[in-house]
Amino acid sequence: METGIQALLAPLVVSIVALILMMQIAFKRHAIVSWLLGCTGFILAILALKPMADIVPKMVTPLLLSDQYSLFFSALILFSGLITTLLAKDYLQNRRGENEEFYLLLLLSSLGAMILVSATHVASFLLGMELLGVALYALIAYPERGQLPLEAAIKYLILSGAASAILLFGFALIYAVLGTLSFVGIGQALTQPILEDQQLLILLGTAMVFTGIGFKLSLVPFHMWTPDVYQGAPVPVTGFLATVSKGAIFAALLRLFIDAELYQYQGLMLSLSVLAIASMLAGNLLALKQDNLKRILAYSSIAHIGYLFITLIVYGVLQQPGLAVEAATFYLSAYIITSLAAFSLLSIISSNISETDLDDISHIQGLFWRQPMLALMLTIALLSLAGIPLTVGFIGKFYIFTAGIEGSLWVLLAALIIGSGISIYYYLRIVFQMTMKEPAGGSGAANMDPNSVRLSVLSKFVVWLLIFMMLYLGVLPQTLMEYLGGLSL
Amino acid sequence: MEGLIIPLNHVLIVAALLFATGLAGLMFRRNVIFILMSLEVMLNSAGLAFVAAGAAWAQADGQVIFMLILAVAAAEVSVGLGLVLQVQKRFKTLDMDHAQKLNG
Amino acid sequence: MLQNIWLIPLLPFVSSVLLILTAGRLPRRLIAIMGAGSVGLSALIVLAVGMQFMELQTPYSLTLWVWMQVGNFAPGFSFYIDQLTVVMLSVITGVGFLIHLYSTEFMQDDSDYSRYFAYMNMFVAAMLILVMADNLLLLYLGWEGVGVCSYLLVGFWYKDPVNGAASRKAFVVTRVGDTAMALGLFLLFTELGTLQIQPMLEAANSRWVTGDTIPAIAALLLLGGAVGKSAQLPLHTWLPDAMAGPTPVSALIHAATMVTAGVYLIARTHGLFLLAPDVLMLVALVGLFTLLLAAFTALNQTDIKRILAYSTISQIGYMFLALGVGAWSAGIFHLMTHAFFKALLFLGAGAVVHCLHHEQNIFKMGGLRSKLPIVFWSFLIGSAALAALPFTSGFFSKDQILLSAFELHGTTGISLWIGPWLWAGGLVGAILTAIYSFRLVFIVFYGEAKTEPDRQPGWRMAAPLSLLCILSLIGGYFVLPLASVFPTVAQHQVSHLVEGISISIPLIGVLIAWLVYYKHSLPVEGFTESSLGKALRNFWYSGWAMDKLYDTIIVKPYTGTANAMRGEWLDRIYHGIVSLCQGSHALLSRTQGGKMRWYATSMVFGLIILVTLLGWVS
Repeated sequence: METGIQALLAPLVVSIVALILMMQIAFKRHAIVSWLLGCTGFILAILALKPMADIVPKMVTPLLLSDQYSLFFSALILFSGLITTLLAKDYLQNRRGENEEFYLLLLLSSLGAMILVSATHVASFLLGMELLGVALYALIAYPERGQLPLEAAIKYLILSGAASAILLFGFALIYAVLGTLSFVGIGQALTQPILEDQQLLILLGTAMVFTGIGFKLSLVPFHMWTPDVYQGAPVPVTGFLATVSKGAIFAALLRLFIDAELYQYQGLMLSLSVLAIASMLAGNLLALKQDNLKRILAYSSIAHIGYLFITLIVYGVLQQPGLAVEAATFYLSAYIITSLAAFSLLSIISSNISETDLDDISHIQGLFWRQPMLALMLTIALLSLAGIPLTVGFIGKFYIFTAGIEGSLWVLLAALIIGSGISIYYYLRIVFQMTMKEPAGGSGAANMDPNSVRLSVLSKFVVWLLIFMMLYLGVLPQTLMEYLGGLSL
Repeated sequence: MEGLIIPLNHVLIVAALLFATGLAGLMFRRNVIFILMSLEVMLNSAGLAFVAAGAAWAQADGQVIFMLILAVAAAEVSVGLGLVLQVQKRFKTLDMDHAQKLNG
Repeated sequence: MLQNIWLIPLLPFVSSVLLILTAGRLPRRLIAIMGAGSVGLSALIVLAVGMQFMELQTPYSLTLWVWMQVGNFAPGFSFYIDQLTVVMLSVITGVGFLIHLYSTEFMQDDSDYSRYFAYMNMFVAAMLILVMADNLLLLYLGWEGVGVCSYLLVGFWYKDPVNGAASRKAFVVTRVGDTAMALGLFLLFTELGTLQIQPMLEAANSRWVTGDTIPAIAALLLLGGAVGKSAQLPLHTWLPDAMAGPTPVSALIHAATMVTAGVYLIARTHGLFLLAPDVLMLVALVGLFTLLLAAFTALNQTDIKRILAYSTISQIGYMFLALGVGAWSAGIFHLMTHAFFKALLFLGAGAVVHCLHHEQNIFKMGGLRSKLPIVFWSFLIGSAALAALPFTSGFFSKDQILLSAFELHGTTGISLWIGPWLWAGGLVGAILTAIYSFRLVFIVFYGEAKTEPDRQPGWRMAAPLSLLCILSLIGGYFVLPLASVFPTVAQHQVSHLVEGISISIPLIGVLIAWLVYYKHSLPVEGFTESSLGKALRNFWYSGWAMDKLYDTIIVKPYTGTANAMRGEWLDRIYHGIVSLCQGSHALLSRTQGGKMRWYATSMVFGLIILVTLLGWVS
């Protein structure tokens, strides 16, 4: 049992710190102490990954598997959580009210995500997903007192709850036929001959499971909530949602996909191809003339998930990992780092100047002339999202492209190319907007006195770190690629 | 463990009907309280299906999952009700067709 | 030392990044020290590497890291150093440092001092990567990098739209060549499966025999890139306009380094060109026609920088001629000597322009010999080397080229008999070179003074000029250790008559220039003022009306067609794509109405679609 504790050290650390934080808030509210506790929790948990790495892979109960793969994603999740915590300090300072619970919710949400990436059973999958989700609902509605965050939260709560219900019902149907709930068990049972009338149940169940997962990943046609929630949520939370929530769900899906050997079923692969193509095209088209920065990023995230799904289909075509798993994990990491950078920059721009989020494209007009450094960094992040060489985004896209060629998926690649072409337009539109002369009147960042914008050392450190990672992994990606290539699932 | 006495398919059909009811509520109701109730119905119908399937396989797994679903549903609804209070306060309505500003 | 070669491009790169990031907030002194110092340090490292290399004599390669290994595609960030690279490195960092030093004074009064050095350092870094790259992808990175920096520097004074147009022209015209080159790279990669230059050349050698089609196509495509970058026919028109940039930029980029990248590319991949003798012949012919055309044009220009620009095109023509006849070492030798004397001439011209209130028309100058003595001597020595007067550096290199051309003994087609003709063409070019270079000297520095210089060049301008003077004089005695890089060429066994003619031709040219432009004793006005003469002068003045020709046969038809097609079916397709995107955007946006009930419904629809899809397939 001791090794069991060691194998789950990071989630345990997060839980304990969350409890301590809860106590602290209950007895004496103090913004800085809570913030420090939050940071400590994430840092300790990251440190706890080291002893975990010594004994992986280790199955703890039939529910959770601690292996290199889950460790890598836990690290990504904790890193995103830490970045969000660091940024939240400045962001929350300018907002009214008591926001200490913010850090508690972040810890809990990250805990859910960590459980999700080690889940090997429907029960742990459900627990992780809901812990992640419920904390997120609160996070969205909580720090601001306006109408938009509230609307976003309630929409996300209800639709996400519905998606969970659909997913659960799907699993219930599968369970009714197969009699097992562990991922590996499902895979084995599926290979046994199944009665004619029960196949319908399996089919329905699979469709429902993928509807639920598709919703959480905002795959077309389950994507409608994305822009509203992204826009309504406070920027740091949006960044957290875009990275941790999406990343953890995709990681869990990948494990389900491989453990249950779903890649064998050509019908499923074909359906996923249709959804992927629809996501790539619709996501980019929706972003095309959008004026709200958060909505642009929301729509573009839909497209990015579409790109990611190519890897699953490659797996299906080849019937073996090939480059697919490497490409998926690398792309996901690249996307997480880049999104974090983009949202961090938006958060910094917003937290310094105004009490509400500055997320309209007109707000950053002329930013280049007032805050050249911020504008340059945002440009780099956008270029990475667009997949321009020497950024990590390019390597990720190239990886997926090569994987797609390996699987000869020409239609999907065509969609990828068309989608990327469209995306250049709206990413560069933001860059152009920043280089335009500032407007005469209005309330954008451009109109603020540059001296009034004070970047705290903390924010500076965070964004520099992210930009550095983006460029470093764009120029020297080989270390990470080799590491990911060696990950076994 | 006795196993299920009535045919599993019958229970599944009931669960599916319940589920469809909840889904329909989600699609057609505008009052946020009713929407939350519909959500609850959906979650519980999934729970029912799990319990029935677990009984049919003579396993405890189905019931365990049902317990988890209960906990999850409780958490969702408690957060949901908290939000409903705020909706009433800030939008002065519970009609979700009117309490909405985000679009495009 | 060799393991530290990565420092060579890194130093200017780091300096450039720092200058960009600080955006001009540093004191000017520091900017100058960083800008010139980083290149100077690189030059010192190159010197040390060169010393060590003399002993080593074997190529050295260093892989810093593999960029990414995806499948069997693994482009490395790796350098390959052989004698050819060392020569190129010495020219780039050595001449580059002198030009940077000169710039610290030349750009003194410019408000964008920091931006200037940021671009210049970035250029040097890109150029160094270009010549050090051991694979074609990295080479291409450097190739495009220098293109971008050239664009930025030509349009350095961007507030004048003319400069912007010039930089755009330079960028677009070279882009034509770059596209050809990129296609060549793709072809080589798909055919040979590697982009590493040396293994690729070996693979090409074992896979193809001389005269095969595919190596010919690949070589032709690479040649496309080379003529674009090196301003050879038919893509030479951008270079004269590129003189819009600051003069040291012209010296560094458009005389000493970037424009010779094409020569370097062909020399580096000579193994491929040897498999395609017809393309190699084409290289020689391109060189010959370019050198003649540019020489005639230079004779009629009035702008001091345009004269030098056309003379650069003409001299690179000689280098192409050398490559085309297989005189690889001679071509690289001329590349080096040309870098010395052409940089000297450009810097001299810069000094003239700098001291004469930005006057560039040579007919408004005159009698500067006594007023700007340093500049006069620089110009005199530079022109002597350019005209290839005996014992200057230009003499040795040009002589080798001409003799190699004369000696050409091909085995097939026109190469059997064309050698002497190439030689004769080169001689015509040489006499013209002598005439136009000394025309410049006599008009600018002799005769009556028309303008007064308002200042004298300081030491930071004078020192590079003096050093380049020395290099231009003695550069011909350098022995380049290129023997092991290129296939050996048979020793020259030409008659003394041929040798004598080659030597005396430039002297005759100088004599003609002296008679016409100094003594005014040759009655050329009779001809130049006749209608035929005027027409010819105008024709040559406009650079054989090449710009007009391109305007007529390419730009005008293109814009004309584009205008005519406005609203036609072809245009409608493109508009259709735009409208399709916008329409679908509008349509899809309408689904994002914000109503939660609709979102839930859409999920149910999605579920139904998914079930149908799954059911339909299985």
